[in-house]
Amino acid sequence: METLFKKILVANRSEIAVRVINACRSLGIPSVAVYSKADLTSKHRRYADESVFIGEAPPRESYLDIDKIIDAAQQTGCDAIHPGYGFLSENSQLPKRCAEAGLTFIGPPADAMLLMGNKVESRMRMADAGVPLIPGMKGSGADMTAFEEAADQAGFPVMIKAAAGGGGKGMRIVHKPEELADAVEGAKREAAGAFGDDTVYLEKYISNPRHIEFQVIADTHGNCVHVFERECSIQRRHQKIIEETPSIALTDEIRAKMGADAVKVARAAGYVNAGTVEFLFDLSGNYYFLEMNTRIQVEHPITEMVTGTDLVVEQIRVAAGLPLSEQFYSLTQRGHAIECRIYAEDGEANFMPSTGKLIHYSEPVGPGVRVDSGVELGSEITIDYDPIMAKLIVHAPSRQLAIRKMIAALNDYKILGVKTSKRFMIDCMSHKEFVNGHTYTNFIEVNMADREMDVEAYRDLAIAAAAAASGRKAALASEAVDDTGRSAAPSPWQNIGAWQIGDKIHDQV
Amino acid sequence: MTRYDFLYDGEPYEATVEREGEILHVTVGERTFQLRPAGDNLYVADVNGRRTVVAAAFNKDVCHVDVDSVLLDIREASEESFAGAGDHAAEKDKIFAPMPGKIVKIMVEVGQEIAEKQAMVIVEAMKMENQVVSKAAGKVKAVNFKAGDQVDTETPIIELDIEEQK
Repeated sequence: METLFKKILVANRSEIAVRVINACRSLGIPSVAVYSKADLTSKHRRYADESVFIGEAPPRESYLDIDKIIDAAQQTGCDAIHPGYGFLSENSQLPKRCAEAGLTFIGPPADAMLLMGNKVESRMRMADAGVPLIPGMKGSGADMTAFEEAADQAGFPVMIKAAAGGGGKGMRIVHKPEELADAVEGAKREAAGAFGDDTVYLEKYISNPRHIEFQVIADTHGNCVHVFERECSIQRRHQKIIEETPSIALTDEIRAKMGADAVKVARAAGYVNAGTVEFLFDLSGNYYFLEMNTRIQVEHPITEMVTGTDLVVEQIRVAAGLPLSEQFYSLTQRGHAIECRIYAEDGEANFMPSTGKLIHYSEPVGPGVRVDSGVELGSEITIDYDPIMAKLIVHAPSRQLAIRKMIAALNDYKILGVKTSKRFMIDCMSHKEFVNGHTYTNFIEVNMADREMDVEAYRDLAIAAAAAASGRKAALASEAVDDTGRSAAPSPWQNIGAWQIGDKIHDQV
Repeated sequence: MTRYDFLYDGEPYEATVEREGEILHVTVGERTFQLRPAGDNLYVADVNGRRTVVAAAFNKDVCHVDVDSVLLDIREASEESFAGAGDHAAEKDKIFAPMPGKIVKIMVEVGQEIAEKQAMVIVEAMKMENQVVSKAAGKVKAVNFKAGDQVDTETPIIELDIEEQK
C-alpha cells in the first residue's frame, strides 16, 4: 500500500514522541525515534520502528542539534520530520533545513513561524487584518513620549512587554503614570539580557482574564478551519496544568466570532498545518488576540476527544499535500473534555521538580479515559528535561461528569518513585469556584494560596500500607532463588509430583 | 502477628499485621485498617465506609505510598535510619540543594538572623527555579557557595546556628 510518507522521523522525546509515533502507526507509516544518552531505555525509543542515537543528555547536544536530526533522517531513509512541541518545534531553521535536504517538515512554513515569533510584528499584522488586540501600541515606542501617549489612551494599569518575549521576562505592570519611565527602562534591560533585543511595547493590563485558545488547521490548498476552543486558565508559574473544552465562558455567538477571528489570524500569517491562536477573554466578555503557537500543543487531546478528530494524523495528511479531511467542515463539540498534566513535581512543595525511578506505575482505564504517557515502570526521571511525564484526559457528557471522572481517574493513576501534583489538581477541581466555572488565570493565586494539606490525616493508613508492603517485600525476598537455581517458593508443578494425563482416572473408574 | 517499625517525618511509628485469609488487619496506634491486596503494590482499604485503593512500594528502605493521591514516604526504622543516614531531614542547621543544579541566588548573608521557612537560596534544575527554605530559625554561620556555582545534594550550601539545638 502506498503511504503518505515513506518514513517519518520524530524529532522529540517522551509522551509527544509516543503520540506522534501512534499517529504514524495508524497511517501505516514507519517511524524513527531519536534519543539521547539519557533516553537509552526510554519508552519513545522502543515504541518507534527504528531509533537513532543523537548524542549526550544536554538538549543542545542532542534534541536541539539540527545537524544531527537531519543526518538521522537521511541516514534512515525518512522523507519527513515531525517536531512535536518544545525543542526545535518553533525554530524556523528546521523547516528551512528540511527543505534544503529534500525533507518535508510537518508543521507551518518558516515565514509564518518567524512572524509569530516576533510579538511586535505579528501584532501589527493582526491589527491590519482586523483582529481585536489589547489596546496599546501597534509597534514598539520610539521614545518615552510614545509610551506616555499610549498609556494615556489605554488607561492604567498598563503592561510593558518585550517584543521577543516569553516566560514573564521583560514584563512590567504599571499602575501609575509616574512609574512608567522606570518600568520601561527596567523592561528594556531585562529584555536585552534575556533575548538580546531590548524592544519593548505597551498594552492595557487585563486583570482576571481567562486564557482561551482556538485550534486551527490549514491545508496547502487555501482551506483553513478552526476546531473550537480550549480554556487553559488554570496555570502556575505561567504554566498550564489543567485544560478543558468547551469553555464555560463562551456563548455560541462569541465562539463563532472568536473562531472566525482565529481563522483570520492564521490566514493573515500565511499559515499551513495545525496551530493555536491564543486569546485573553476579559470579565466583560471582550477578547483580545495574544499570540499564535506554531506547533501542536500539549493540550491538543481535549480537542480530539470532543470533536472525534486526530489532529496529528491530520497534520501528517496536510503536510503530504492532501486537502483537509471532509470531517473538518462539519465538526461539532460533543460532551466535555479535561486534561491534567502529570508533571514530576511536588504539588505540596511549591511544584519543585522531583527526580527518581518509577517503582510503581499503573494507569487508570475506563470509557472516556485516555493517557498520553512517555513513561512506564522503571523509567528514570532526571533533571535533564522538562518534567512532564504524561497527560491524563477524560471525556464525559457534561462538565460536571468530566470533573468527577477526572478526580476518580487521578486517584486511580498510581505513580510511585517521584512526587506529582495529582492531589493539588484534585483540590483545584473540587474547589467551588472551579466547579462554578470561575476559572481565571489567577485562580491558583486567589483560591489555592491558603490551601492546607492535612497530610497527618493520611499518615496512619499510609503506615498500614507500608506494613502490608513490608510483608510482601519479605515474601519476595524469601522467594529468591536458592542454591539449586530453583525458586524457593513451592510451585504447583513441584507439589503435584510425577503424573501423566489420564493415568489415575482410569484406575478410579 | 508481625510487627514493623517505621519512621515518618523523623517520628517513630509501629504497625502490627494480622493475616486472616487474604485480608490484612493492620493496627497503627489506635486505628486498625483492613487491607486487601489487589495486585502488584495495590491494596483496597475501607476508610469511613468509603473504598479506596492505596499504592505502596519500597525503594530500598523507603516505602512510597499514595493514599487518595496524597503521597507519603514511610521509612523503615533501622539503626541506620535513626542516625539519619542518606537523608538530611534531621540536619536542621544545614541547607542542602533538593537536587543537583546551579545556584541562581543566595538570599542571605553571614551573620543574618533568619526565621523558620525563610527563603535561603534559589537553585535551578530541570529548567525551573526552586526556592530552598530554612528548617529552623537561627543565624547564618557560613555560606559555602555563590551564585553561578554548581551544587550537589551532599554539600551544605548554607550552615546555621539554630536556636532550638537539641
